[in-house]
Amino acid sequence: MDPQDLETLNVLLDRDVELRENIKDQVNEIDKKTRTMVGLLNKIHSTPWDAMPSLLDSVKPVLTSCQEVTAALASIVPPNQFWRWKDLWSNSLRTAVFAAALIEYLSNRRLITLPKVAETLGLKNEWQDRVALPAEDYLHGIISLVNELSRLAVNAVTLGNFDEPIRISIFVKNVFAGFSMLNLKNDTLRRRYDGLKYDIKKIEEVVYDVSLRRLASSSSVQSVPSTAQ
Amino acid sequence: MAAMSATNDELELFDNFRADLDDHNDRRERLIKASRDVTNLSKKTIFLLHRLMMEDSNISTVDNAPGKRAALRGREKLVEVQTIYAGLKQELEGDRFWRYQSQVSPGLQEYIEALGFAHYLEYGSLITFDQVQRTLADSQGIPYFPLTISDYLLGLSDLTGELMRYAISGISRRGGRKKASEVCAFVRGCKSDFERLTPYVWELKKKQYVTAQSLEKIEDAAYAIFVRSSEYDLSPEMLDDIVAQAISSYSTDGLSARSRRDFSHDNLEDT
Repeated sequence: MDPQDLETLNVLLDRDVELRENIKDQVNEIDKKTRTMVGLLNKIHSTPWDAMPSLLDSVKPVLTSCQEVTAALASIVPPNQFWRWKDLWSNSLRTAVFAAALIEYLSNRRLITLPKVAETLGLKNEWQDRVALPAEDYLHGIISLVNELSRLAVNAVTLGNFDEPIRISIFVKNVFAGFSMLNLKNDTLRRRYDGLKYDIKKIEEVVYDVSLRRLASSSSVQSVPSTAQ
Repeated sequence: MAAMSATNDELELFDNFRADLDDHNDRRERLIKASRDVTNLSKKTIFLLHRLMMEDSNISTVDNAPGKRAALRGREKLVEVQTIYAGLKQELEGDRFWRYQSQVSPGLQEYIEALGFAHYLEYGSLITFDQVQRTLADSQGIPYFPLTISDYLLGLSDLTGELMRYAISGISRRGGRKKASEVCAFVRGCKSDFERLTPYVWELKKKQYVTAQSLEKIEDAAYAIFVRSSEYDLSPEMLDDIVAQAISSYSTDGLSARSRRDFSHDNLEDT
C-alpha cells in the first residue's frame, strides 16, 4: 500500500476512535442519570398511592436533565450517522424511555406516546439524522414498563391498594393488543414481547385473588369481567 | 368509556409502528437479497479471473498482456455489480446506509475482493480506497453510498487468499516462479500494512490470521523450489516437473481453506 494512502486511512480511523470515545463519555453521563432514576423509581413498590406524586416529582428533574446529554450527542454525531453510532447509547435511551413511561402511567394512567418521550428527552426533529428515538427503542422501553407494572400489581396489594392491579391489568392488555399488531422479526424485541405473557399471567393471578376475596372496590370489580376476556 | 378511547389511541399508535417496522424489515430483506446477488457475481468474477490467467501459457510477459486482458474481462463482469449498487442508491440514502450496513457489507467486501484482484492482475498493486469508491459512483462522481474503510480493508484482506491460489496454481508454469515471488512479496507487504490497522477494525485481526496462513503457503512453495534448485543442477524444464509435484498438495490445502472461509462468511450473512 502506498505509505500516504496508509497514513490517510490511519488518520480517518483515528478520528472515528476519537468520536467513539466522545460518544461513550456522553453515554456514561446518561447512564448515571438513568441509574438514579431507576433507583428512585424502585421506591414505587413501597410507596402508598397518595405519596406517589411527590416521589415522581423527585424523578422528573433527573429525566429532564437527560436533555443536556441528548443535545451534547447531537453536537458530536456527524450528519447522517445516527444509525452508525446509535448502538452505543440505545440501551441507555431505552431505560430513559422506561422511566418516562412509568412516570406517565403513574401520573395519568396513560401510555406515553413516542413523540412525547422524544420531547421529554429534548430530541429535536432536525436531529433525526444524528440523534433520534426509533420505534424499536421506544417499544423496548414500553416492554420494560409492563415488566415493572406486573411487579407493582403484586406490591400494591401488599400495601393495601386492591384496585391498582385491576387498572394495571386493563392497561397492560391494551399495550399487549398493540404489540400483537406488529410483525416482529426474530430479534430481542420479539423475545421480550414473547415474555410479556408471563407478566400478564402474573397480573391476572393478582386480579383473580383480589376479586375472588372481594377486596377491590365495587366500581373496579365491575370492570373485571370485561378485562378477563 | 374512557378505557375504550384509550384503547383506540393505543392501537392507532401501534398501527404507525407496524408500518414503520414493516418498511424496515422489507428493505432489510431486499438488501440482503441484493447483497447475495453481489456476492454471487463477485465470486464468479474471481473464478473467471483465475481461469483467464490459467489459459495463458506464459503469465509473466514483459508487457503483462494476459493480466491486462483478464482485468478487462473481469471489470466488464463487475459492471453488473455496479448496476445493482446504482439501483440501491435510494435504499441507502442518507443515514439509511448506516442502518443497513451489516446487510450490505458481505456483498460489498466480496466485490472489493474481485475488483482488487482484477486491479492487481493489471497493475501489480493494491487498489486504493478512492479507486474503489469511484467505481461505486454515478457519472457525475456522486457516490451511491459512502464506502467504509473497514469494508475496504476486509475485502482486500480476502484478496490475499485469492492471490495465494493464483501464485500457487501458476507456480509450475513458465514464469510462474517469478510471479509467485512477486505475489509473495506483495502479500507480505499487505499483511504488514494491515497489521497497523488491526486495532481499528476488529474483524481484520481474525482475517490477518488467514492472510498469515496464505503467506506461509506461498513461502513454503517458494522454499521447495529453492531447495530443489540448489541441491540439483537441473534445467528449468526439469525443475518445473519437480515443482508441479511438490505443490499439488498445497493447492488442495488452499481449496479447503477457501471453502471453510466461505462457509463462515455465509453464516455471517444470515445473521
